Amino acid sequence: MKTTRRTFLTGLAATGAAPLISFPAKAQEKTLRVRFYDDLAGFDPATIFRVENENIAFNIFSGLTTYDSKTGKILPDLAESWETKDNITWIFKLRRGVQWQKGFGEFTAADVVYSYNRILDPATASPYRNEFTDVKSVQAPDDYTVVITLNSPDGNFLHQVANYHQGQIVNKKAIEAAGKQVRWQPVGTGPFYLDTVDVTSRIVLKRHETYFRGPAPISTIIFQIIKDEATGTIALRRGEVDLVMRSNREENIEILRKEGFLMNATDDYASAHKVFNLSVKTLSDVRVRRAIAHALDFDTIIKATSPILQNATYTLLMPWMDGYTKDIPRYPFNPGLAKKLLAEAGYPRGLSFKNLSTSAQGVTEFQQFEIDYLSQVGIKMEMELVDTPTFNQRRNRGDFEVTTRLLPAVNPDTILFSFLDPANISPKGLNGARYDNPVAIETLRAAKAEIDPAKRKALYAKVQQIAMTDLPYLPQYANGVIWPSKKNVTGVQPNNLAQVNFFEVDIK
Amino acid sequence: MFTYSLNRLLQLVVTTLGVVTLVFFTLRLIPGDAASAMAGDTLSGEALDRLREQMGLNKPIWVQYIEYLQNLITLNFGETITTGLSIGGLLSKAIPITLAIAVATIVLTIIISIPLGTLAAYLAHKGHKTLDNIITGGAMLVDLMPSFWTALVFLLLFSLTLGLFPASGTVSLDDPAAFLHRIALPVLVLSVTQIATMARITRTAVLEILSEDYIRTARSMGWSELRVLFRHALKNAALPIVTVVGLSFGSLLNGTIIVEFIFTIPGLGSLLVNGINSRDYQLVQTLIVFYALFFVSVNFFTDLVYKRLDPRVQF
Repeated sequence: MKTTRRTFLTGLAATGAAPLISFPAKAQEKTLRVRFYDDLAGFDPATIFRVENENIAFNIFSGLTTYDSKTGKILPDLAESWETKDNITWIFKLRRGVQWQKGFGEFTAADVVYSYNRILDPATASPYRNEFTDVKSVQAPDDYTVVITLNSPDGNFLHQVANYHQGQIVNKKAIEAAGKQVRWQPVGTGPFYLDTVDVTSRIVLKRHETYFRGPAPISTIIFQIIKDEATGTIALRRGEVDLVMRSNREENIEILRKEGFLMNATDDYASAHKVFNLSVKTLSDVRVRRAIAHALDFDTIIKATSPILQNATYTLLMPWMDGYTKDIPRYPFNPGLAKKLLAEAGYPRGLSFKNLSTSAQGVTEFQQFEIDYLSQVGIKMEMELVDTPTFNQRRNRGDFEVTTRLLPAVNPDTILFSFLDPANISPKGLNGARYDNPVAIETLRAAKAEIDPAKRKALYAKVQQIAMTDLPYLPQYANGVIWPSKKNVTGVQPNNLAQVNFFEVDIK
Repeated sequence: MFTYSLNRLLQLVVTTLGVVTLVFFTLRLIPGDAASAMAGDTLSGEALDRLREQMGLNKPIWVQYIEYLQNLITLNFGETITTGLSIGGLLSKAIPITLAIAVATIVLTIIISIPLGTLAAYLAHKGHKTLDNIITGGAMLVDLMPSFWTALVFLLLFSLTLGLFPASGTVSLDDPAAFLHRIALPVLVLSVTQIATMARITRTAVLEILSEDYIRTARSMGWSELRVLFRHALKNAALPIVTVVGLSFGSLLNGTIIVEFIFTIPGLGSLLVNGINSRDYQLVQTLIVFYALFFVSVNFFTDLVYKRLDPRVQF
């Protein structure tokens, strides 16, 4: 890929022309049984929510681009290649001969135009419409070319058209035929199609035999809904399922690890941040926020509470993300310095703040440690526990003093704009800190628009340095994702969106 | 009897309407709604408002209440807010499963607990304190065990260690043998607590009767102990036992909620948990109305059985 400023950036990368993986010449009949824990809510990309519903959709639909499961790199999907010279006009060349599932014919550029316009149509009421608000027009000059023009340059636009949410391409005829049941009758171009679904017990996916990369090794995937994780663990140990979707309890993971089950994992899937409401007088002083940071020893807390599933983190972005830098201000554990900062800020006797959290979890071990560490420098962290929907509502409206937010994303702009853009101050967006630093947002906009990769990287680094200096958000920990499986199940690699591409999975 | 039945039926309707109203407004008093449950972590406040409007949650509460009553009267349960699926369809699949579990539990409970309780009463009456204490103490101990804990212990023992029953898998009435095998463990878990309760009640009721004059008379007539115990004592002790059986149905419906969750049984309990988690008012309201109807119906029939068992009972 050329990287000079005036030349085209092209997605006809080395990975683009080659198949993602090799597949068997003759597809065999194999059934994979997977423990599924989530509530089912449907698979329409325009309105889909909940991470595991999204995982099903990820295997039914395709985007113009997709992600390498291991590295998180952007790969061609329905688009064979792409080019742009200004990050404003994006030209995608589409694969030929791609077939829709369930006999809906051949995929063309018109489907892309329909899908994106459907997201943009206010009548669809898609929560992902904001992701496309920068899109000025979507055109199909011929059946295999799509031209997308943006209002302003976006160097990360390939993330917006990836196989996720608004980026998933749907079929107009299938959508219209499904009518009100559209979320239960998905038709995509992905490796599996939805065979049957019973919202209280199971989902069955079948292999899409004419998938453009060839038929998947597994012919049938049965997602058995097992909500209780202890039951799910027993089901795997008894051989009732082959794979457990996302084990979340360390004790279960430990049992399975000791018994020799495979620990299919991705580290640092998403990070959780303490969100300081800067409109609260005490928290508006950066010295107080820094004092809190210095008072907490996240390394030790995580080693004590969740050593398998979590890692301490110090940055807003994950290390695998575009634009990530580790060259940022850090706040190592230093209670003496924390006390000094508090005194300088006018709180020599300490202060208190309320921490909004969910009653579903109670006061977690992690929070118990936080309370203890903070009390040692004179800070009282009072827990405000509310039920989960109330928690979500209050947090999204910015009605809290301090809370925690974990925002899964692949696109660095999703995190940086959500957290730092004053246009996204809650309740309008996810900037719950109410952070408003003109230099930070200008630098961020410049980074998003920049074509030169080196300059771009430097600008993103500057944004992170500013944000970590001002500290409206304090990184706490990064979550990992583990899908334990039997030894004969191969290719289970949760990606950076915590999703598994079942096209890569096989049973030996 | 007819007037009584009619009165009770009217009471049933009033009670149900009361429950419907109470549930409707109580659910809406709880902070958060289906939209905020759906929105989860990442939707902004404004996006949440758009979602709420799309789901019809921004209508005035009294409009929602009247619409709900109208739909209920016409047996139009509507669709769940979060999945858009027909609630009637979901209920028609879930009801037989939960009912099968409840009925199987009650049958198993009666078969085991009544002879056990009667035996304990007999032993106590005859002065065999040790055996009576073992049965009564054991029953009390089991009664105190929470069902979620019993469920997990039974899973580990009967499913994982002994391999007798599955921990998960399809639950379908199409294959009765597989269905019974699948629900066996949940039924066992629910029965354990029910057996303990009912055995204790049976013991107390029978023990009281065993001191009555007519029992002594029966014995003096030379009838066997078994005949005295089961034909005379148990029959006369039946009223409190029937009351407890009726009430057990209510507590069983509670029990199925936990057990269905742990054993992943797609019954009414699972539907209710899903509905509550996602603040799906439409689904939760319908389910609670169904639970209430079921409960008052069982009470109604229990009252009718009273009259049958003891003609002296006046309504």
